Amino acid sequence: MKAIFEGVCDVAIINSYYYGKLKYSKVPVQREWADRINIVFTNQSDRGNHINISGGGVAKHSKNKQIATKLLEFLTEAPAQLLYSKINYEFPANENVTPGKVVASWGAFKEDKIPIGTIAKFAPLAQKIIDRVGW
Amino acid sequence: MLAKFILTKVHFAAWSGIALVIAFVLLGPFISILIVITGDSGGLWGHLMNTVFPRYVANTLVLMIGVGILSLFFGLSSAWVVSRVQFPGDRVFEWLLILPATVPAYLIAYTYTDLLEFAGPVQGLLRDIFGWQTARDYWFPEIRSMGGAILVMSAVLYPYIYLLARVAFYTTPVSLHEVARLHKPTSTIFFDLSLARPAIVAGLALVLMEVISDFGTVEYFAVNTITLGIFNVWLGMNNLTAAAQIAGLAFIFILALLVIEWRARARQRFFDTSQRTNTISKSPPTKLGILLCIIICAVPILLGFVVPVSVLLTFVFEDYAISDIKSLVLSGVHSLLVSFFAAFSVMILSIIMVSVATYQNYRIVKVITAISAMGYAFPGVVLAIGVVSFAGALDLRFIGKLLGEGSSGVLVGSVGLLVFSYVVRFEAIGYGAITSGLGRSSPNIVNANHVLGRSFTHSIFILIPRLLHKSILAGGLLVFVDVMKELPMTLILRPFNFETLSTYLYQFAKDELLEEASLAGLAIVVVGLGPILWLNASQRR
Repeated sequence: MKAIFEGVCDVAIINSYYYGKLKYSKVPVQREWADRINIVFTNQSDRGNHINISGGGVAKHSKNKQIATKLLEFLTEAPAQLLYSKINYEFPANENVTPGKVVASWGAFKEDKIPIGTIAKFAPLAQKIIDRVGW
Repeated sequence: MLAKFILTKVHFAAWSGIALVIAFVLLGPFISILIVITGDSGGLWGHLMNTVFPRYVANTLVLMIGVGILSLFFGLSSAWVVSRVQFPGDRVFEWLLILPATVPAYLIAYTYTDLLEFAGPVQGLLRDIFGWQTARDYWFPEIRSMGGAILVMSAVLYPYIYLLARVAFYTTPVSLHEVARLHKPTSTIFFDLSLARPAIVAGLALVLMEVISDFGTVEYFAVNTITLGIFNVWLGMNNLTAAAQIAGLAFIFILALLVIEWRARARQRFFDTSQRTNTISKSPPTKLGILLCIIICAVPILLGFVVPVSVLLTFVFEDYAISDIKSLVLSGVHSLLVSFFAAFSVMILSIIMVSVATYQNYRIVKVITAISAMGYAFPGVVLAIGVVSFAGALDLRFIGKLLGEGSSGVLVGSVGLLVFSYVVRFEAIGYGAITSGLGRSSPNIVNANHVLGRSFTHSIFILIPRLLHKSILAGGLLVFVDVMKELPMTLILRPFNFETLSTYLYQFAKDELLEEASLAGLAIVVVGLGPILWLNASQRR
């Protein structure tokens, strides 16, 4: 985003929450960078914009399964999800939670619905393609 | 008398047993890696060979050669002028030149990127001065490149060469020097260099091992080295076997370096015994010579210390640094604790293993203890894999059964295991320090101790520590500073909610939030300063 501001490039692929963080940063120059940039959601006429997720799970041999499950429940319920959205400018993973004001202002968009498990399954293949094309 | 003789024999055997047990525990992670290596990589090698592997190897070689040459240049030129030429400030430069050893390579990579990238202050200033608008209007070297990696890594790694070469220059016997001067007055530099060769090679081997196991810098600069490849294959392709196999190849690479280092050290012993007196008078140069000396000393200090620390200080003074002072302090305490315990354990274990290996006659003990101190040769990432699978096996097979169901997983994810991994990785430093220390002292001292009726236990815990306190201090301080800077193993092995300064720094820096990480970076440098200066002082006396 700094590079876009400086004119090195016109487009960058980023996690949208970085945009939020710069836009409302306590560092004045960072707010300036974000002011010159617009968010565009990709792939809208096809399967939708890819979404990176922050996930959590419980290890099979965990000693504290109950507590771990409780923590995950807390993190996915409305109060915690709203915190993520308001403070870190992330989209809530819980569909029933409306995003914070800032995130909501970026507008609705079509999300890519490919399950994360499928993405994990194809990750090795993706890495092979990356190796081949030298990305 | 006979009873006493038998008792002594039993005593010796018991200590040999203890040394062997320690060695085997330290070897555990290596054995785990070997087991993983023999697994099936799912035919990935064909793909790797056809695509990225040649590039990994080539990049690693170029990086090693580049960093090798540049750090030799920085380290040798500065070590030579501070020990052979008299110029204003030479004594100050002498210790300033070690300061970059406190700066982790990944930290200097972050700061230089911030400084020299297109949007950074340097290029911004140039654009303001010359009225350039875009990146197409002018050429500026790209810092996040192979050349950049060579520069920043050399700037913080050259002190290894500097330290060892300086000691070698100081201890060059004056008589040999006089002969050389009589023979050919202009050849003193080449004469010094050739006499100091074993020390130089030993320093170079350390530098190259650091290069090959570096993860933070190459990841940030996107230089695809073997270590980065291990990560891609392991996490990107979910293929631990192939990752471990690449690591095995890297290990062969490093083994070659180690052999070079061993041979160099074996020859150095010869030089040490031949020394008579160490005071070669320093020669005063011309005005131009003085300027040249100052430049030679100032450039590496500027590159490796002043610039990165200034960048960090700027962030701190601009008040963007502190996000959470409490967790920063806690990380600092964690760093200090693990570094202290690791350094302490390494030195205790080294004293036991080296003493036993030196004074007992079991060849097998000598060989196995030496092999167990090879952790430095493995990239931290790979060693972490070995430590996890070793501890996992212990947890599952022994501790779980011993303490009953539900108690497995005691080791994995514990602070103890993290410290253990540091011991495995940095044992080589302690082992080397004690070995060279014992090598210089006469075996008669320990024998006399036994004649006086003291046990071998007394020798190990009282006599040898007193005899070798300088070597122990030097080894311990080096381990301490190395653990403070260590990143990849800490990242993989630390327990949840356990941050050290380096992981604290990494989690911000990897998101390009260097401002927030700057205080942690400064803390690593500041904490490292004490031990490094102490080390320098102890070496000079």
